[in-house]
Amino acid sequence: MRTLRNKLVMAGLCVMSVCGLVSVVGAAEEAKQTLQLEGSTTVGPVGDAFAEAFMKSQGCSITVKKTGSGDGVAALIDGRCDIAMSSRFLKPEEFKKAVENGVYPVAHTVAMDGVCVVLHPSNPINELTTAQIADIYMGKITNWKDLGGPDMAIVAISRDTSSGTYEVFHEKVMNKKDMAASVEYVNANPQAHARVKTTAGAIGYVGLGFLDRNVKAIKVDGVTPTKRTIAQGTFPVSRPLFLFTNGYPKLGSLIHAFCIFYLTEEGQEIVEAKGFVPMTNY
Amino acid sequence: MKTLLRQIQDKGFTTASAGAVLLIAAALLVVLIPMFGRGITAVIFTETVEFRRLQKDLHGRGDNEHLARALADAAAVREPIYTMLREFSEGIDTEPLVKQARDVYQKYGEYLNYHNTPKEQYSDYRKQAKDVRDGLVDALESDDRQTVLDDLDAVLKEKDNPAFADSPAMEFFAMAQRYKKIAETVDLSHRAEYLTNLQEVTAAIRQLLGPLPGEPTPPLWMDQYGATRLDMALKARAALLYDEQWISDGPGKPMVKHIIARKEQFAGTPLEPLFDRVEADWDKLLQPRLRIYWQYFFDDWVNSHYFGGVGPEILGTLLLTLMSMCVAIPLGVISAAYLVEYAGDTVWIKIIRMCINTLAGVPSIVYGLFGLAFFVVTIGAIGKPCILAASLTLSILVLPVIIRASEEAIRAVPQTYREASLALGAGKFRTLVLVTLPAAGPGILTGIILSLSRAAGETAPILFTGVVAMGPIPNFGSPSQWLENPGSLFGWLFQPTRALSYGSYDIAVGDRISMLAPHQQFGMAMTLILLTVALNVAAILIRSRLSRKLRGC
Repeated sequence: MRTLRNKLVMAGLCVMSVCGLVSVVGAAEEAKQTLQLEGSTTVGPVGDAFAEAFMKSQGCSITVKKTGSGDGVAALIDGRCDIAMSSRFLKPEEFKKAVENGVYPVAHTVAMDGVCVVLHPSNPINELTTAQIADIYMGKITNWKDLGGPDMAIVAISRDTSSGTYEVFHEKVMNKKDMAASVEYVNANPQAHARVKTTAGAIGYVGLGFLDRNVKAIKVDGVTPTKRTIAQGTFPVSRPLFLFTNGYPKLGSLIHAFCIFYLTEEGQEIVEAKGFVPMTNY
Repeated sequence: MKTLLRQIQDKGFTTASAGAVLLIAAALLVVLIPMFGRGITAVIFTETVEFRRLQKDLHGRGDNEHLARALADAAAVREPIYTMLREFSEGIDTEPLVKQARDVYQKYGEYLNYHNTPKEQYSDYRKQAKDVRDGLVDALESDDRQTVLDDLDAVLKEKDNPAFADSPAMEFFAMAQRYKKIAETVDLSHRAEYLTNLQEVTAAIRQLLGPLPGEPTPPLWMDQYGATRLDMALKARAALLYDEQWISDGPGKPMVKHIIARKEQFAGTPLEPLFDRVEADWDKLLQPRLRIYWQYFFDDWVNSHYFGGVGPEILGTLLLTLMSMCVAIPLGVISAAYLVEYAGDTVWIKIIRMCINTLAGVPSIVYGLFGLAFFVVTIGAIGKPCILAASLTLSILVLPVIIRASEEAIRAVPQTYREASLALGAGKFRTLVLVTLPAAGPGILTGIILSLSRAAGETAPILFTGVVAMGPIPNFGSPSQWLENPGSLFGWLFQPTRALSYGSYDIAVGDRISMLAPHQQFGMAMTLILLTVALNVAAILIRSRLSRKLRGC
């Protein structure tokens, strides 16, 4: 019996020390307003940076979760988040489901992004048309020789089919035609960049912010991807990035303040620092 | 003969098994050593003076005086570099002029407002001014002489437009005149070449030393400092001193990389001595020295993991793992005890056993979706993704493992133990609690150890049930709050949390952090492995104590 009592005392001591530790770690905080963001991995970095800046100035608590545009929209429809981040517009069936659930999605365009076609820097080709790129991804052109380049097999790299970047590329370059079976799929921008960087015959596509001197962005239909051409929409594979809310947020609410944050100079600078193209000529 | 054959068989088997073990060990090392080698650079690395500045600004760490002296030393050698750069770029870079044009446009708008221009006229004038501005900006940004001159002529045509008379907009035309003179005399195509190189040099210097003096403070912390670590500084230095150019090697052949010293690119210009200076003053510019950044395991991160540590992630992972164990261990052990000691060998029990075995093999994402559907959506009391929902999901994930291991352990307790207890007059329940379970303890703990690591490392079950990339640090309240409102003791259960496993995924996708700061990604993976090892070691220590006690020493 004595050992049992000893054990109880020990257990009590453990619980107390844990509580002590916990009270040291957890600083007393007031109950704060909270905001939940969920959605695209592309818009995520902007959401993150906005949230960091916003929390500093407003003293609220914001959670950001990045699993994909579709997840964010689904969460908004189910009422599991306040703001859905999306790198594409809603699909008709999503709209239908939302309205059936009594949710009325409103889009706030926070930034523009260009999907830049990139090659290995050793590739002498500097320009392709959307038709040529589509032919490459459909497997009709398989060697750079046919495009005036070196005799080298083309390695086509694509994002996975569930990403918003893929959908934009699929719609604007491929005209919604299927890709060939030989196309390699990677599941994020950094991976696409790394794959093109290390493969001499590779072609891939990444967001504007991922361009650096290890990959070469080519002209598409004669237009170089720059902030300017993307903002004007002349670069053929440009797309807006959205925040979706349920109805237009109540004026003066925290959601409203967050959704118009991108209009401020700070918001625009953050958008630019994160490698996207701001919406306004601030 | 037969003995020889057996010996050969025996030897062969021993060698094969030893080989298999070695192979597994080697494979593990091949994976783990690079991961640890790169992960440890998140904690132990060569810091620069910029890192010390960052630590001071963010956390108030470090000695004020030392830092001030170091910064003054650095500033002394940085100043000449900045001066050289500024003097050279004024003639080449038109970006400040573009900015000026935008400012003039804004001033013109203010001017119109100030003079109470009628509404229709106001928007009309502003539109005209915008056209002029855009023409001017186009001219400034182009490097084709004919385009520039055409654009400028179009701008200058508007000079006599009454809308602009005596207004700040006249500045547009003065700018256009000045630039026209430059465009007529300077070889613009050459200028463009200098300009791209100059922009690369400026970007590299910004990366190395932080924003140039006179520039507005960038909005993100990551742009407010130069290279904080030597490995990043060396990358920026390489970009500053050498240019990579891909030059054609004849038609139909891949281009070849040429490394060209920037010094030669800018030969004969005022910028030439800059590159020698950077090399000569390297140590003073950044003052590198070894740093053991142990706070990495406690700090919160800044700018999506660009700076800082993984403190909240560690806390979140620990909470999730321990909470799920708190639920899974009692449930698992009780079910195992029931299955072995109380349940007979009926068909139903066989079906239940089969279900448990099947559950152990179900992919974790299925548990994640179940958790979302059941704990988050169906159970109204939880209602949103949070630590409680995530730990409950995790506990269901590890439950089959714990049940199986405990069942085996309880079954392995010699029947004589139970008989001895029953013979002494103890009931069935008393025998179970005081004799069988303690004797099975080490075996049960083995199952718990296995499931601990699984729970700590799983991403899929918590993805939809309670983990976020960015969110509050669990708030446990304080003893005074607990007395006031006992509910606050459990408030953290209903908050979402960050976790190491999801954090590593978050760094790898979406943002550029894995490209810009690879040490952060490896650091987080290393931390997760270390945490799992630490949890395992703790459990193994408990087990060895327990079995020692059982053996009676």
